[in-house]
Amino acid sequence: MASHATTRAYLGVFAALAVLTVLEVAAVKTGLPKRTLVLLLVSLAVTKAVLVALFFMHLRWETRVLRWMVAVPLATPAVYGVVLIAATIAKRMPA
Amino acid sequence: MSASVIAEPLAAPTGHAPVHTSVAFPRDTLFGAATPGKIAMWIFLVSDALSFSGLLIGYGILRGGSTVWRHPGEPALGVNFTAFLTFLLICSSVSMVMAYSAALAGDRKKTALWLALTILGGLGFLAGQMHEYFGFFPGFPTHPLRGLVGEGLIPGHSAYASTFYLTTGFHGCHVLAGVVYLSTVLARVLSGKLDGRPGAVELAGLFWHFVDLVWILVFTLIYLIP
Repeated sequence: MASHATTRAYLGVFAALAVLTVLEVAAVKTGLPKRTLVLLLVSLAVTKAVLVALFFMHLRWETRVLRWMVAVPLATPAVYGVVLIAATIAKRMPA
Repeated sequence: MSASVIAEPLAAPTGHAPVHTSVAFPRDTLFGAATPGKIAMWIFLVSDALSFSGLLIGYGILRGGSTVWRHPGEPALGVNFTAFLTFLLICSSVSMVMAYSAALAGDRKKTALWLALTILGGLGFLAGQMHEYFGFFPGFPTHPLRGLVGEGLIPGHSAYASTFYLTTGFHGCHVLAGVVYLSTVLARVLSGKLDGRPGAVELAGLFWHFVDLVWILVFTLIYLIP
């Protein structure tokens, strides 16, 4: 099995990243409700980050152990951060 | 059984530098063909990601808890200009993987060319960031024109300003470190010291892609979220 992507796959990921970046900037200018916009922007950013990690950093071709070794320490603070920030916003909002 | 290849210095005749050559490295049951160097780089990147997590979570808590985030007189951040810088970093990531492909193919000239383009992308990003802060290049399209500092976004004056400079500056330091790292790899490629050792180019690439990955998140959280 190949240990990395083909040039065609690299260019495909590049095109996807460019399109997603344009979508992000366009989304900011659409006037969507803030909560929807935040969810959309974070989803697009996470998609881009996963593409970079899987294809450019070759995680797709690494073993499951290495993938989990990377994913768990990254996902844990992300979830913790969302909880902390949501709790802070909820405390500020009037009941 | 397939085996990856790593380079190890061999004993050299007295008075000579160690000779680097490739030796077979057995496939590991847990990490497959990943070399110890690659596993070490991943451990470093995960720990570095935790540093960025701390900054971004702190930013989120300060912003989420504030009633007024951007005070009167403080400029908004320029989304279009920063989107261009983001695109520049993405381009440099592509040139980095092309450098790795060329290294795997044993093409020294192409490896050096793609590495040089990657370094140029990093330098362009750094120049753009300095322009964003201080307005170094008059007439170059950005917002605000005098640079953020000139427009009143002063570190220490507000949580908005401080978290912005702390996070983007910390990332900028990583870009600078990446440029230095890639430059040393480029010099070694040009001197032929990395012939037959594409793994060294891949390791540098891991760091560079990580810098790109982090910027994708910083761009969204700091610049795009209204």
